[in-house]
Amino acid sequence: MTDYTYPSVYFAYFLFALLAGGALFFFLRSLKDGYLGPNSEDPKYRMMHDDPDSERNPARHEK
Amino acid sequence: MATQQGSASAAALANQDIHQDTTVKWFLLGAVGYFAIVGIIALIIAAKFVWPQFLGTIPYFTYGRMRPLHVNGMLFGWLLAADMGLAYYFVPRLCGVKLWSEKLGVATSILWNIIIISAIFTLLGGYQKGFEYADLPTPVAVLVVIAWVMFGFNIFATILTRKYNQMYVSTWYLMGTILWTAFVYLTGNFATLLPGITGVNQANLNWMYTHNAVGLIFTPAGLAVAYYFIPRASNSPLYSHKLSMIGFWSLAFVYVWTGAHHMLHGPISQWLQTISIVFSVMLLIPVWAVVYNFIATMKGQWHQLGDNVSLKFLMSGTIFYLLTCFQGPMHSLRSVNAIVSKTDWIPGHAHMAVLGTFSFLAMAGVYYVIPRIFKTTLHSESLANWSFWLFLIGGLGMFTALWLGGFWQGWQWNNPSIPFIDTVVALQPVWMVRFLSGIIIFLGIVLFMFNIVSTAISGGRNASEATARS
Repeated sequence: MTDYTYPSVYFAYFLFALLAGGALFFFLRSLKDGYLGPNSEDPKYRMMHDDPDSERNPARHEK
Repeated sequence: MATQQGSASAAALANQDIHQDTTVKWFLLGAVGYFAIVGIIALIIAAKFVWPQFLGTIPYFTYGRMRPLHVNGMLFGWLLAADMGLAYYFVPRLCGVKLWSEKLGVATSILWNIIIISAIFTLLGGYQKGFEYADLPTPVAVLVVIAWVMFGFNIFATILTRKYNQMYVSTWYLMGTILWTAFVYLTGNFATLLPGITGVNQANLNWMYTHNAVGLIFTPAGLAVAYYFIPRASNSPLYSHKLSMIGFWSLAFVYVWTGAHHMLHGPISQWLQTISIVFSVMLLIPVWAVVYNFIATMKGQWHQLGDNVSLKFLMSGTIFYLLTCFQGPMHSLRSVNAIVSKTDWIPGHAHMAVLGTFSFLAMAGVYYVIPRIFKTTLHSESLANWSFWLFLIGGLGMFTALWLGGFWQGWQWNNPSIPFIDTVVALQPVWMVRFLSGIIIFLGIVLFMFNIVSTAISGGRNASEATARS
């Protein structure tokens, strides 16, 4: 069966390649920066103390 | 651990009083207002399904004009604006610096309001492109692009000045949102208008845009919000940052091809249909990584759900996320698609994603942020709880009615001996349940808006009194 490929599919191909290529580049970059390394859990502890409002008054909204 | 706590305290100290949050206030209060306005439009549409003659002779209130206004109003007026407002809140905090430019942020907010008001007038006036999720007339769509560039520039400039090298996962998701939106929005709103892009070509691009609008705009924006506010609201660190990054990258790699599953059994290439099915099923990987992380973060913290309204919204949103992301891959299977495609099952699925998941996450963020940026307490915890239960009960009523009704509708459509008009008449009870559920949801919106606006007014009054005393 001959399956016609519409031109928009090539455009979608191009977009996919662009997005996948970008994702691959930044993924490799993130590996280099240690996001899956031994210190990869640091950001989750740091973010717990990033808000001075909550530091001063943690029970303002939640009990 | 001691080092972590030490650096954390230093982070908090460094952050003290550097955040103006003016942009956050503008965006969030505007978003909440549009939520209520567009909620009225939603109710009118739901009523029209039950009583087709309702407001039928007035052009501005015809279904063809009100439905695009409801869709675009909820997506861009409420949800994206709320996500942007919350991003302006958490990105500077995660980066340990103030927002790069509050003036640019406020200017973006003003432009965003111009866009939404323009959308209301143009869509009601019948000026629209007629594409799903891309109805806005081209001049208004150009303004959206300008506003998005302003937003993206401000956020990226803030991130570039960050104090810490490693970024928290919410920052990654937000950066992804900004970049993906650029591609996705341009495809849906401009590439579809290029010469020669007609018929099936146009439909292919439009569905690529529509599904990616949910998957590469609202999903990463919503997950950025959830990844920030679940640990903050529960006061418990995220279960695994490494797992969150795996979820982020798997989303980045698999989402873009899924849109074509809306055209299964249609006149598009079989291989494209098959690819969309494969990638849709692969979505279960990032979804499970996200949901497992959120639920594991709550280990030992579930008791907080009783008196923490933000957490109620966040965890309900998580469950709806799991459900809607199970539905999506199932919908992409040819056998299921043959029944539910084009039926009321689709709006049921879409509402669980946009309302049940991402709006719940955004409302959690708004409830968390507004008292803090106005330096006051929430106007009423009781009203906040009422709003949650109204959203939950109304939402469940609507979703369930549309899923079951959609299956029923699909089975009838697949039986050629049933006249089409009979399938319309048969759905009347389903649409009545949707209308009644809509009333309950709208009451939730009203309570939510009243509570948030009252909190802001109370905070403003306190600030004025403090200024007068000093």
